[in-house]
Formats: sequence, C-alpha cells, structure tokens
Amino acid sequence: MSIEIKDIHFSYGKIKALEGVSLDLSQGAVGLLGPNGAGKSTLIRILLGFLSPDKGGGRVLGYDIKDEQPKIRRYVGYMPEDDCFIPGLDAVSFTSYLGELSGMPRQEAMKRAHEVLYYVGLEESRYRKLETYSSGMKQRLKLAQAIVHDPKLIFLDEPTTGLDPNGRREILELIMDISSKKDIQVLISSHILPDIELTCSYVVILNKGKLAAQGDISELKEIRDLYEMKVKGEAGGFLRRLKDMKCKVEETEEGIFKVYWPPDQDRQEIFRIAAEEKIQIRHFVKSETSLEDLFAEVVGVD
Amino acid sequence: MTIKEKGYSHWDGEFIVKKFPWWPITRYGIKLTFMRKLFKFTLPMSLLPAVFFLTGIYISERLEDFPFLRGETSQFLQINPNYFKVYFTQGFMLFIMLMIVIFCGASLISDDLKHNSLQLYFSRPLKKKDYFLGKTAVIVFFLFIITLIPGLVFFIMKLVFSGSLKFFISYPWLPLSIIGYSFIVTGFFSFYALLLSSLSKNRRLVAILIFGIYMLSDIIYLIFRSEFRSHYFSLVSLRANLQQVGAHIFGQKTPYDIPWIFSFLVLLGICVFAGFVLKSKVKGVEVVK
Repeated sequence: MSIEIKDIHFSYGKIKALEGVSLDLSQGAVGLLGPNGAGKSTLIRILLGFLSPDKGGGRVLGYDIKDEQPKIRRYVGYMPEDDCFIPGLDAVSFTSYLGELSGMPRQEAMKRAHEVLYYVGLEESRYRKLETYSSGMKQRLKLAQAIVHDPKLIFLDEPTTGLDPNGRREILELIMDISSKKDIQVLISSHILPDIELTCSYVVILNKGKLAAQGDISELKEIRDLYEMKVKGEAGGFLRRLKDMKCKVEETEEGIFKVYWPPDQDRQEIFRIAAEEKIQIRHFVKSETSLEDLFAEVVGVD
Repeated sequence: MTIKEKGYSHWDGEFIVKKFPWWPITRYGIKLTFMRKLFKFTLPMSLLPAVFFLTGIYISERLEDFPFLRGETSQFLQINPNYFKVYFTQGFMLFIMLMIVIFCGASLISDDLKHNSLQLYFSRPLKKKDYFLGKTAVIVFFLFIITLIPGLVFFIMKLVFSGSLKFFISYPWLPLSIIGYSFIVTGFFSFYALLLSSLSKNRRLVAILIFGIYMLSDIIYLIFRSEFRSHYFSLVSLRANLQQVGAHIFGQKTPYDIPWIFSFLVLLGICVFAGFVLKSKVKGVEVVK
C-alpha cells in the first residue's frame, strides 16, 4: 500500500485539524477533497513529515511517517499550493538543484531537469530567471521540481490554481499522463471538483477534520439516485415528506427539484406521495450524479 | 518524437547517499552570491589588507633593500604573533568581515522565507541540520577567504621569505591560533547573520540589521565607557568582544581590562541564542497556533 494511516489526530492549539482519520490508499490517482479548513493540507503535511500527528500513525510507501521521514521524502514528490521558488536561478538550475537535494547525482540531476522541463512545456524558457515567470509557468515549474527525481508518489496541492483554461487543461493532461504509469501514485488536493473528476478514479472527502467519505468515484455516486423533477401545485408538504424519508432535496434557480433518492427504496414511492399531496409531477428524469452533487451531499453544502 | 509526446518517462539512475547532503545548498549559495555585481568588486577589495600585510612580511625580511622604512615603521614590521593579531582583530578588518557577511549572509534565509522555498527544501530528504550547515558554509567559505587562508599564507610565506624554521620554532602554536580565531570569528558572524536573516523576509532590512546592530553595540559601549569609565561595558560591543578574544588567542595583552572569558561567553551566548531562534523559525511549514 502506498499510504496507510490509522487514527490520525492533529490539533493547532485548541483547533482540531484532523480527528481519527484512517486511510488505506493504493495505486492510481486519488483526489483529496474538502471545504476550506477540512484538513487537506494538514494531512499532506503529516504524510510528508512536516508535522507530527498528536495521535495515530501510519506508513507512506512502507516507511513510518514519524520515524522515517527522510526516506519518505526521497521517493515522494511535492507540489506546494503557494508560489515558491529560489530567486536568482533559472529553471534548469532550480530543477536540477532540487533533484540533487533529493539525492540524485549532479550530472544526472541536470540531465533529468532538462527532460522534465521539456515534459512540462518549459523548454523555451528554461534559461530564464524564475522572477520573470508568469503564474502559469511557475505552476508548471512546481510540477517539474516535484517529478524531477522520479518519485513513486506525488502530492499535488491545488495544482491548477491561478491557471487560465488552456494552462489548466495542459496541467491536467500532464497529471493524467503521470498517473497513468501504474507504478506512480498521485494524490491531488483541489477545490476544483471537475479537475478531480477528470483526473482521479478514487476520492477521499474530508470535512471538519474527519473522513466524510472515500471510495471509487463511480461507486460513491451510486450511493444515491438523483432525479430531477418539475411539479405543479403547493410542493411544501410533498418536499417535507420526501425529507422525512431521509431524502435530500435541492431546488435550482429554474424551479427544478433535485432529489437524492436512496437506491434501496422504490422510486414509485415518489409518485405515491405526490398523489397523496395532490400535486402534479410534470417532468421526471433520472440524472447523472456529478462529483459536485456527491460533495454537496457528503459535506452538507450547496 | 519529443519527450512531451512520448509521455512521462522514468529516470533510470540510482539515488546516492551523500556524505555531505548540504553541499548543493552551499554551492548554490556561493554561486548566487557571486552573481551580485557589487560583491564582485567587494571581495577583491576585502583582500587588500591581506596583500598589504603579506607585503609587510616580505619587506621585514628585506629591510636592507628598503632603508627608508627603518625607524618607527620597522617596529610594525617585526613579524610576531602581535602582527597576526593586528591583522585579525583590527577594527577595519572586522568591518570588512561585516561587509562580506552582509553580502553573502543577509539573504540566505530571508529569501527562502520570502519566496516560500523552505517547503521545497524540507520536502527533500534533508534534515534541518543539513539546511543550516549548507547555509552556514556559504558564510564560512567567504570569511575563510579573508581570515583563515591569508593567516596560514602569512605564516607559510614568513617561513619561505626567511628561509629558516626559526619562526615556527619560536611560535609553534601560532598556526593553531590562526585556525582557532578564524573558526571563532567565522562561527560568530555565521550565527549572527543567520539569526537576523531568519527574522525578516526583507533582505535589505536584514542587511541594515546586521550592520546596525554591530555598529550600535559599539556606539553604546563608547557612550557608557565615557560616562562610567568601566571596561566592563566593552561586553556590550560585538567588535570589542571579538578583539578581546582574538588578543587572548594570539597570546597578546587584551585591549580591555576584563577577563577575556567574559567576552568569549558573550559571543557564545549570542550563538546559542541564535541556534534556538533558528530552530524555531525555520520550518518546512508555517504553523499558526
């Protein structure tokens, strides 16, 4: 297993950032989702050994997160969320420098730096000073430094932040290409749900420091069936009765009701309740659940 | 087919366990310092006192060729441990060291703080110790160019110019003094610069602090000395403490009438304090509790 953690607790003073998080992640691309303050970055920092958990423990790539941090970091790549670079250096020197710090021989690090800069599309500007880079170029450079030492596991913290649509598409293509290698696992933390949906097959959702859900995206989406309907008549009682059946209902701006219906219940029940409440269902269609719907359902936000 | 079209490719090399994992940090630190235009001028200028003192050593062995230098000047040209002490501890030389430290040390940590690059260092298999060693070695490298290396060259050249081992036999401990004081003065300035560099993200402010605190400590000492006539106030002055310890190490009378060990303890205390501050300030991630 690449990441195996059990009962991780971490607090910033009195604020609990993580409470009893356990994960068991193997290969492929994994999305790490959660609203602001959910504990995503804290979890990545614990996995990298920047922070030591107050309670619990685990292993990354088979190495203990408390005692074998340098070994973990040798085989892990990290793309931080913030802008970060070393002023005065050009992209080749910067990337090879960080390759060397990872333990690569100097010549090899330089050769590999050229390769990864070509790979992320910075071949033309690799001798330019980093201070002159645009945010999109800096984002690519951060990806280049994360993969220069050919890690087995890559943590990407908000990899598409600050990118225009083209830049975003290109970075996502690179991530998909990297994660398609069966021996590299990618953990992507992002607020942009379509990015996660596009690149990941597995998702971990954190909420208020706790594990809210985890699993294959396709399987998680099947937890509830989503129906869209338009009704005529006084819908208050109808909606109340649906909610009483532990069914989540949202109303869109167009007046369409989105009903998350438990799959173990018969959907005919919806029509029966509608008939009893004397309202007409004018439009009824089974809809595809998106990751956004799933996120809203699990985290409890619209 | 370009690499981009081929897709991601693995690196087929092997990691090496480096004996000095901090060396790349030092190498790049030195490279970045040399890229500063003004430093390219400052470093050769800082070697002028060494050239002057080396010339003095040569002339001391050829006084008969320089009859106009006899008299009071010949007193200065008596090569003994005091000659070395004067080179290492004169106010001007310490000022040059301060300038070098400002150029090579002010940005060492402050730039990393400003550009969030600490997380890049600490996401690699580096320990805090390696990071500090790498940064310290940059300052050590430049200060040794104007302390340890000239000191040892003076000693060797004295033996070469005199053509005998008499000087070595008279002062066999002098090389150790040169090495010892070079390490003390370099170690102190390294901790001093790194401490101040870790306190701000603004490299210019750090440079002002490095210069200002050094000068201010001296001004405070001079004010108190003129007011209270006590040599103990020399403990406030960084310059005076370095001169006091230097004089003792070179076996000379100390310039201030207080035990040299007090000055040494003051310098050591600053280094220990700097160590604690650096440990708490430099982290892979900023944790606001």
